[in-house]
Amino acid sequence: MSDRDIILAAIRAARVPAAPPASAAFATSAAPAPLASPSPAFTTRTDDEALHGAFLRVLAEVGGRGVICQATQSLDELLAAELGVDKESAVIVRGRFAVVENGAVYVDAADIGARNSIVLAEHLVVVVPYAAIVPTMHEAVRLMPVDSKCGWFLSGPSKTADIEQSLVFGAQGSRTHRVIFEMG
Amino acid sequence: MSGHPAAAAGFLIDAERAAWHDQSLWFMRQKRDAGSAIPEWESLRLAGQALKTHAMSRLADLLEEFERRATANGVQVHWARDAQAHNEIVLGILRSAGVTRVSKSKSMLTEECGLNPFLEAQGIEVVDTDLGERIVQLAKEPPSHIVIPAIHWKREEIGELFHRTMGTPAGETSPDALAAAARVHLRDALLNAGAGITGANALVAETGGVVVCTNEGNADLGMHSPPIHIACAGIEKMIATRDDLGVLLRLLARSGTGQPVTAYTTHVTTPRAGSAMHVVLVDNGRTKRLADATMRSALHCIRCGACLNTCPVYRRSGGYSYGHVIQGPIGAILAPAVDLDRHHTLPFASTLCGSCGDVCPVRIDIPAQLLAWRARSAAAGRLPRGYASIFPLLGRVLSKLDRYEFAARMARRFQKVIPASWLSGRWNPWTRPGRALPVIADESFREWARRAGRGS
Repeated sequence: MSDRDIILAAIRAARVPAAPPASAAFATSAAPAPLASPSPAFTTRTDDEALHGAFLRVLAEVGGRGVICQATQSLDELLAAELGVDKESAVIVRGRFAVVENGAVYVDAADIGARNSIVLAEHLVVVVPYAAIVPTMHEAVRLMPVDSKCGWFLSGPSKTADIEQSLVFGAQGSRTHRVIFEMG
Repeated sequence: MSGHPAAAAGFLIDAERAAWHDQSLWFMRQKRDAGSAIPEWESLRLAGQALKTHAMSRLADLLEEFERRATANGVQVHWARDAQAHNEIVLGILRSAGVTRVSKSKSMLTEECGLNPFLEAQGIEVVDTDLGERIVQLAKEPPSHIVIPAIHWKREEIGELFHRTMGTPAGETSPDALAAAARVHLRDALLNAGAGITGANALVAETGGVVVCTNEGNADLGMHSPPIHIACAGIEKMIATRDDLGVLLRLLARSGTGQPVTAYTTHVTTPRAGSAMHVVLVDNGRTKRLADATMRSALHCIRCGACLNTCPVYRRSGGYSYGHVIQGPIGAILAPAVDLDRHHTLPFASTLCGSCGDVCPVRIDIPAQLLAWRARSAAAGRLPRGYASIFPLLGRVLSKLDRYEFAARMARRFQKVIPASWLSGRWNPWTRPGRALPVIADESFREWARRAGRGS
């Protein structure tokens, strides 16, 4: 028998009792159901502020910077003002949507050049449509394209705390990370 | 003493360093507390437990579904019954492509399988690219923590190590400068490797995707730069749906480092044009545990490290005291299944305070399994030295009220007259250096209550 057959046979021989999918388990549990979309628990927390405001705050906490490109402003002008001399070494990519709870943006490999370019970039800029924003990962994973070959949730710049837990940005990937919301 | 107690005693000789280690890990625990302070946290943990229980109940089907989708996407899926088979598969892939230099991002599975020494013996150079893992690799040590492999290293020591191995200036201790030097060193390894090996934080049956989480971005440089990407994963990494992935990602980083999510979360289903992608699915004892109803849920572990950071024993004894690739409370319930003879002291490396179970994002009942392993150690005649003769006696005394009260009265009387030096002699396994017998109170609670006239 091949290793594949041995492993699958051993799993089936273990006769693990049936267990319902997580969402079904939730529907019957006594706990509040945060898996409904959009997450009520999370949106309660952000009732008093717009989703974008909450996103920008979380993004700052994870070491990134977020800017909303106003309708009166061109994206090129904003990028020039934001990046200055760093524009030469910046990689600017399109993101599909932003996630409020963790400051992440989803970037799909279909929208960028080489896959490793987002990590090789010294300065990464992700441009996201203003309206493309969801509260939590529950909504976010459902927006991942079904035919995606590769995609990323990017939350802030590359970082490490492996030396005495001192936070250092730019461990191996981007040193700075910006998210720009584009109107229209 | 042998096993964990002996190794822990060695760790505690340097009291100042042990206290520093304890504080470092407690800091991680506090970050976890802050990160998990979201209203739906306990509901999320229930969902995490449910999605893992569900995945284990349909594991064979999910693995087949994953294989079908991944294969359709051009990924080559391999199956390995044990560590040897896993290592041979990886070597075969590298050999057939003539690769002599590989980069590796953090993977506890490849540590478990001993992949590095195996490949090095075959003349293949392996560079670990997670900064912490590179530090311990340069020092020829294994990781001492599954998430922060070099948590036991001080910056001065890392400066000295980098001076010796990377030529950084002598006396450099700034984390910024040391990390900057490592960035250059590691990017070179990542971009010039013939293949990149990664682990997997999850395999998603519904998408055929491999999910890898890092903060440094090293896994992405490693998998998207060379012409070959090999992802090595234990079969228990399988989850059913993208909805499950959303739950798992909300739990993982918050539990590990307190971050809301890691800086890089990669979901890859298809090799990039002109490159090859392999997934190696590894059993190595997992199906045996799956058949063990008492210990099965240890397979739910997502390797966040929260139980290590909170454990009063791990914090005060260090990762190496466990003598196993996975340390801390989760290691203490995983290791005995690998080799009970060798690891029989680990289920006793716990106060059973229950904190590990409380912080576990997928609600593994670690304390219950520690206790169950203790029972199995006893049944196998592998109780730590001294326990086998004392426990039956204690059982007889503590299970009957009159015997207990008589023993307590005797203990109270004799502690006053017997010299402390004799009580803490070598014969007594409860009193070791640093662990003195407390003074027994003059009056028991029951005696006080009787005197105060509040009960029987």
